[in-house]
Amino acid sequence: MAFKERVVPTIRIGDSLLVPIQIDLDDKTVEQLQTQLLAEIQEHRVRAVILDVRMVEVIDSYISYTLTETAAMAHLMGCRTVICGIQPPVALTLAQMGIELQGFLVARDLEHAMGLVYSP
Amino acid sequence: MDGKLRELLDIPENDFDVVVRISREEDIAIARQMAKQLAQELGFSLADVTKVATAVSELARNIYRYAQPGKIMIRKRPEESGGPAIQVVAADRGPGIESVERVLTKGYTTHERSLGIGLSGIRRLMDFCEIASEVGTGTVVRVEKRRRKF
Repeated sequence: MAFKERVVPTIRIGDSLLVPIQIDLDDKTVEQLQTQLLAEIQEHRVRAVILDVRMVEVIDSYISYTLTETAAMAHLMGCRTVICGIQPPVALTLAQMGIELQGFLVARDLEHAMGLVYSP
Repeated sequence: MDGKLRELLDIPENDFDVVVRISREEDIAIARQMAKQLAQELGFSLADVTKVATAVSELARNIYRYAQPGKIMIRKRPEESGGPAIQVVAADRGPGIESVERVLTKGYTTHERSLGIGLSGIRRLMDFCEIASEVGTGTVVRVEKRRRKF
């Protein structure tokens, strides 16, 4: 996929795709990210996508909805989705709103995330 | 028309520190950013800054989706009236809400790309939440978050 179509630069590690999100996610960006990730999953036939959200300061209901939907789509393409680095205030806010991020494997950090990629 | 709603729809913009008109998708992020900044200025904890920013994001998206154009107005409540707090008013003259009780039910939505969690979530994130709405007139959601002492 052409570089300019990417909203988030990704890194391939083994058969995983690391996605360090270092931008503020708004509605349009998260939709573009979904399209980008599905294309990259198909192109590289990766086993897992690891979303690193350490730098993300706000995850609201629509961002959650779209990320959850992306995980479901990835699953249908035979790919796991791991999310790691959710910041404490974001975790607090999501939990208080009752948002669960279904379909994701949740990791504490990148190392844990890499471990989950190969767990049974 | 409901007197309370009319009163809320006519709140002067000058009473607020920030007014963001919501008519484009990008305006959601702008409103969220403004709320975050004001909460930080008031010395809110990082957790509460995030809650306020998330709540404003939900309010702005509701306007964008169902009732644009509308506006998000944010102000720091004056110190003298009981400690620092942030107040947000989301106002529109859109279609209005048929049943306020129903939209506050977690999981209820009329939009296909939604968790139906916005307004019920806002109520849990903030200290105060009031909704005034009338079909054909508009909707005003007023929320408030006080600064907590640690």
